[in-house]
Amino acid sequence: MELADKAVGFLLTTISLSIFSYYTFWVLILPFVDSDHFIHMYFLSREYAIIIPLFAGITLLCFLSMFIGYVMLKSKKKSA
Amino acid sequence: MKHILKILGLLVTVSAIWIGLLQASIVSSSYAWLLPVYLIVLLGCYGLFMVGVGLMFFPTCPQESHLLQKDIAEAKDFLKRKGIDVNSD
Repeated sequence: MELADKAVGFLLTTISLSIFSYYTFWVLILPFVDSDHFIHMYFLSREYAIIIPLFAGITLLCFLSMFIGYVMLKSKKKSA
Repeated sequence: MKHILKILGLLVTVSAIWIGLLQASIVSSSYAWLLPVYLIVLLGCYGLFMVGVGLMFFPTCPQESHLLQKDIAEAKDFLKRKGIDVNSD
């Protein structure tokens, strides 16, 4: 059981570190690189750096409110 | 109430620094516009990282768990002898 927990923890850590390094590189370092460097092929255009986190945040908010609504409805149905 | 005031104060400070950066043009304008989004993503990443690290290094205390199971068995036995039914279903 602890091994599954440790594996999930390790996965979360690697995901967070990779998102942090990719996003930092994308937003902070890439503007200083010459525009015909090969590294630009691995990164999307910079407008996506705003659209993707915004979209993820809105999706998270929707999911949270749906979950809260579902739990509230279920508890009301059980108590009625 | 004090906690809300503290958080609001922090928010006002951060936005003041951001607007100051925008006006004074120490860094280029596109950077200053992207900074809040970057900070929010950083905060989410940091939270995820702390959760992952906590999961990885969580102590399970096997000796305490064993003692606890023995205590539970002993308590169940005692109560059953006194006539109370403690089988949780």
